[in-house]
Amino acid sequence: MSDNILKELCNRLLNLFRQTEAKEDNAKDIACNRLRVVLMQDRTNLTPELLQRMRRELVELLSKYVEMDKDALELNFDQEGDQMALMLSIPVIRAKDEEEIEKALAEEDAKKEAETSEEDEELEDEASDEEIGKREEANEAEETESEEDDSEEEDDEEIVEESEDETKEESKEKDKE
Amino acid sequence: MTGRVIVITSGKGGVGKTTTNANIGTALARAGNKVVMIDTDLGLRNLDLLLGLENRIVYTIVDVVEERCKLKQALVKDKKNPNLCLLAAAQTRDKTAVTEEQLKDICDKLKKDFDFILVDCPAGIEQGFQNAVAGASEAIVVTTPEMSAVRDADRIIGLLEAKEEIKSYRLLINRVRPNLIKSNDMMSVEDVVEILSAELIGIIPEDTGIITSTNKGEPIVNDDKSLAGMAYRNVAQRIMGEEVPFLNLEEETSVVAKVKKFFSNLIGKEK
Repeated sequence: MSDNILKELCNRLLNLFRQTEAKEDNAKDIACNRLRVVLMQDRTNLTPELLQRMRRELVELLSKYVEMDKDALELNFDQEGDQMALMLSIPVIRAKDEEEIEKALAEEDAKKEAETSEEDEELEDEASDEEIGKREEANEAEETESEEDDSEEEDDEEIVEESEDETKEESKEKDKE
Repeated sequence: MTGRVIVITSGKGGVGKTTTNANIGTALARAGNKVVMIDTDLGLRNLDLLLGLENRIVYTIVDVVEERCKLKQALVKDKKNPNLCLLAAAQTRDKTAVTEEQLKDICDKLKKDFDFILVDCPAGIEQGFQNAVAGASEAIVVTTPEMSAVRDADRIIGLLEAKEEIKSYRLLINRVRPNLIKSNDMMSVEDVVEILSAELIGIIPEDTGIITSTNKGEPIVNDDKSLAGMAYRNVAQRIMGEEVPFLNLEEETSVVAKVKKFFSNLIGKEK
């Protein structure tokens, strides 16, 4: 009898200790996580706004190729020794079929064409930061396309050449909308 | 003789740069090295106080630079250890009184007569820091397991990495409180090392003895019973190239830990 009571008492006490230990948001973890975020900003010169934008642009870019869970996208900087790495993790919901990808790419190219022609006109005007951003965006997209879609590139170019005038009109209509 | 010039820096103030300097310097001298400490915190000098030498200062680094005395005249010998010297900062001048070139020149001259030249760097990343770093080829970055100190240490490490003259830097984590780390209320040494990804040279436990030793003007390394003193002596040995294991501060000493251990043992026996 007394043995059981003692056992029960011990168990309860142990549970009490375990509970205090199991606090997930302990001060140490909070400090570590806050520090990691703040150091990432210090080291990369990326403000939270810029990170948000990078996220948005990455989603935009990658959505052309795969259908993914946009809200679950995780963007982290990892430090391994002296080397800093950008870690991107996105759950893929579904692979897109070729037609969809081609269509998305064609739309993208058309948009770019339209933009460059517009930019030519606007060149004399002062270039705002946003425009520079857009240009970079477009360049990035171009690079990734050429890296990843070597095989499709030729087809794409053909499509663009054939439908250059049409797509320009299309995109202008879109802009109006 | 070509001495090693080591700058002791932190970015943030109040993390224990000067205490570290006084203790490592004293420990290195006790081990038989010829050591000189340079206080570059012009206008806010304190190293003289920690060493108990405040009444012996005649000339300062500014007097040397402005040629009112010879370099050797300005070196104040320690009370106990003739191997240990201090080149004090001027209390009445500001950071512009000495330039980077002048400090580098002083370090180069001292290298011929001393094994170690320890440069005590002022807090901040402005000209005072640039001056202190100018003559050094090694650095010890002092931090504590607190967010602001770690963040500033990261900044300092970035600046040190950009300096060609600095060949190596190592991290000293000061004011470690094992009980707070145990209860997950404070970042551990491992956390700090991982976040800063720097090589470790020492872990110094928080020790109330530091306060009394500062008050007496007697570095704690001279107290053979003090844990912090032992930790500093170990740092000095590591600087000298010896391999010394880090102190185990994780020993469970709190009452809660003891009670917990008691009950775990009891349950273990019951089964």
